[in-house]
Amino acid sequence: MATPRTRPVEDSISKVGNELAVGEDLAFQRRWWRFETTIWILFALILAADLSGIFGRGPLAKASAKTADGTMKLDYERVLRYETPDVMTIHFGPNAIQNGRIELWVSESVIKPLGNQRIIPQPKSSILDGDGILYTWPAASHPNSVSFALAPSAPGSQKFTVRLESTGDTITRHVWVMP
Amino acid sequence: MYTIFHAVFGYFFMLLAVRVLVRRPGGQLTPFEFVIIFLIGGIAILSTIGHDPSVTNCTCAVIAVGMVHRFVAMARTRWRRLGRWMDGLPLVLLRDGQWQLDAMEGMRIEPDDVMAAAREQGLTSFSDVKYAVVERTGSISIIKR
Amino acid sequence: MTAVYRAIFGYCFLVLMVRVVGRRPGRQMAPFDYILIFFIGGLTLTGMVSDDRSVTNAVVQVVTVAATHYALTRLRQVWPKFGLMLDGAPVVLLMHGQWRTEMLEEMRISQDEVMAAARAQGLTSLSEVGYAVLERNGAISILRAGSVPDAAEGTGGGEHGDSAHAAG
Repeated sequence: MATPRTRPVEDSISKVGNELAVGEDLAFQRRWWRFETTIWILFALILAADLSGIFGRGPLAKASAKTADGTMKLDYERVLRYETPDVMTIHFGPNAIQNGRIELWVSESVIKPLGNQRIIPQPKSSILDGDGILYTWPAASHPNSVSFALAPSAPGSQKFTVRLESTGDTITRHVWVMP
Repeated sequence: MYTIFHAVFGYFFMLLAVRVLVRRPGGQLTPFEFVIIFLIGGIAILSTIGHDPSVTNCTCAVIAVGMVHRFVAMARTRWRRLGRWMDGLPLVLLRDGQWQLDAMEGMRIEPDDVMAAAREQGLTSFSDVKYAVVERTGSISIIKR
Repeated sequence: MTAVYRAIFGYCFLVLMVRVVGRRPGRQMAPFDYILIFFIGGLTLTGMVSDDRSVTNAVVQVVTVAATHYALTRLRQVWPKFGLMLDGAPVVLLMHGQWRTEMLEEMRISQDEVMAAARAQGLTSLSEVGYAVLERNGAISILRAGSVPDAAEGTGGGEHGDSAHAAG
């Protein structure tokens, strides 16, 4: 018959007051508490960053860009979040209207990685044009603005471009999508 | 950003809900109470996360909850009065052969619950019990005669 | 693929979180501890699952979490130092009639909680407590003063606000 493997019981657990085996480790405990404090400071910093919008969805994340003559102004967020709805708005000046319509070319990255869900108002036509899409809206007067409802589908750094066909003004921006 | 506020609010709301709803004798939660707890927790999660299921968002929410809990735990040990509000007080149920009716009725505890705790200590009748105390966790301590 | 990373991150993050939020003293978890754990777990879960609610994803993530858990427990066995970090060490709260104030503050334990643990053992006052040890699972072990030689005069905690504090 097989014999079970054994080992003698040793008094290996450290004692308190020379009588009670507890296995307390004061040096470790103090080190751990220091570590714990560090972690909590780190956590506090993360929360502060989140509140301020460094991780997106906060005041610091908001940004805007406009062309030299102010024909096109872009309100967007520098930091987006994965699968989270967000709105990018483009405002047009009077020069943007040509032949009673506004034509805007957007790069494909707005559609795919940034996950454009819908455009408000809906464009009258959308034409595949190179590595992007050309949208057309009929327009009578300004101010006009168009909103893109985004829900990014890929984390990481993303680049997008919008171009106004009437003046050829281009805005290119990098945004960061948090996982 | 709003997630953090939602998380903090959710924490305190659940604290209140649990404090009012469930403190039961015996320390053991019944299956029904588990259901309630999961329900409350699940609803709070829904509103906390909202439309943002990103890892960033959830991590921040968890950190916010952990942080609030730590502060609450700290405050609770520092100010006893606060701890009393949050956890309640231990109450004497049975004292020298006398049921303390205020405590029994207030905590909705039956003599059977006390007897169950006494049996766990190996006691066979109430006459062996000197004190029975319902603790802040809801468990019943028995002190033998 | 990202589901695996998300699951590993979620698990490790939860382990850290539970560890630093702290051991909750007491013989049993109070209802609120359940809800806190459920809340934290559920929040992490939402981030882990994200938008992928397929069965495949669920299976992959469950397996990943299980594997990570297995790896951690193995690591804890072969490397005691790591186990110490994961579980912490027991902490003596009260000894020979003296409170260890540093421990009480750092572990955020009040004297009432020690007394509650003592009552659970059938003790009637703090002066009967020889040792109080906060175990790794958050339980408070109480050893009677009589079971060990009297080494110090019992100054344990002074007057105590407990209703069960009575002459023995």
